Amino acid sequence: MSTAALDKLIEATRLDADHVFSAPWEARAFAIALKLSESGHFTWDEFRDHLIAEVRASDRIRARDGTSDRGEYYDHFLHALENLLEEKGLAR
Amino acid sequence: MSGNHNTDDSGPATRVKALEAILTEKGLVDPAALDAIVDAYETRVGPRNGARVLAKAWTDPAYRQRLLADATSAVAELGFAGPEGGHLVAVENTDRIHNLVVCTLCSCYPWPVLGLPPVWYKSFAYRSRAVSDPRGVLEDFGLKLPREVEVRVWDSSAEIRYVVIPQRPKGTAKMSEDELAAIVTRDSMVGVAKVEAPRG
Repeated sequence: MSTAALDKLIEATRLDADHVFSAPWEARAFAIALKLSESGHFTWDEFRDHLIAEVRASDRIRARDGTSDRGEYYDHFLHALENLLEEKGLAR
Repeated sequence: MSGNHNTDDSGPATRVKALEAILTEKGLVDPAALDAIVDAYETRVGPRNGARVLAKAWTDPAYRQRLLADATSAVAELGFAGPEGGHLVAVENTDRIHNLVVCTLCSCYPWPVLGLPPVWYKSFAYRSRAVSDPRGVLEDFGLKLPREVEVRVWDSSAEIRYVVIPQRPKGTAKMSEDELAAIVTRDSMVGVAKVEAPRG
């Protein structure tokens, strides 16, 4: 399963090697997370822990179901950011 | 997989817009500052930086030594520093060793020299196979290595980031540092490709 999925992702990113974000909201979510960590509202490590938790949960489902990626990394990223902001009471 | 407080049913674009609005209203972020971050990572912080580092390492043996000894300081000499660049390690390809970089947990990557990671680097397919079947992954990328070449896989973490020093291709002896920088690719610095000499 993985090889075909990887091939597809590789192909997609080769089309535009300098393509950093797939949609404007991904760029915005990234910038919000980086800015808040730079301003000291949380550390990047704290954010990464939340991101790893989201990615791990998704990996488990993929491993169990044998499904492959659709390039949903920034969905995990956004969930991680929302959870962290909620914990910190920053976005109420 | 996420908390109860998320408005999971709305699309991500709507949710990000709502977050930015609340955070802006509270004075926690400034939209202009967010624009500046996006612009930096879309246009300036990217693999062209790493390519400059590599071209210098290929042409300046003393620099190459400094890069191998302390990559964070060596890339800072060229003005490349910033988030996720704290503990950078350069690993060198040779005729007998090929290095491959992955982050099995999520997406750790040396931002100051390579920018943000590409989609495939963050994919389950890559993260789950790079360690267990590195040769298979390399073949997916079109790189078939001779059996006698040892493949070393480096798992990035919050503490350590890796950048690969690819081999300088044959037939490039007369090329300048600038010309060499132009042929170094992002993929070669992650270890999923070799640098090819330009076809003359």
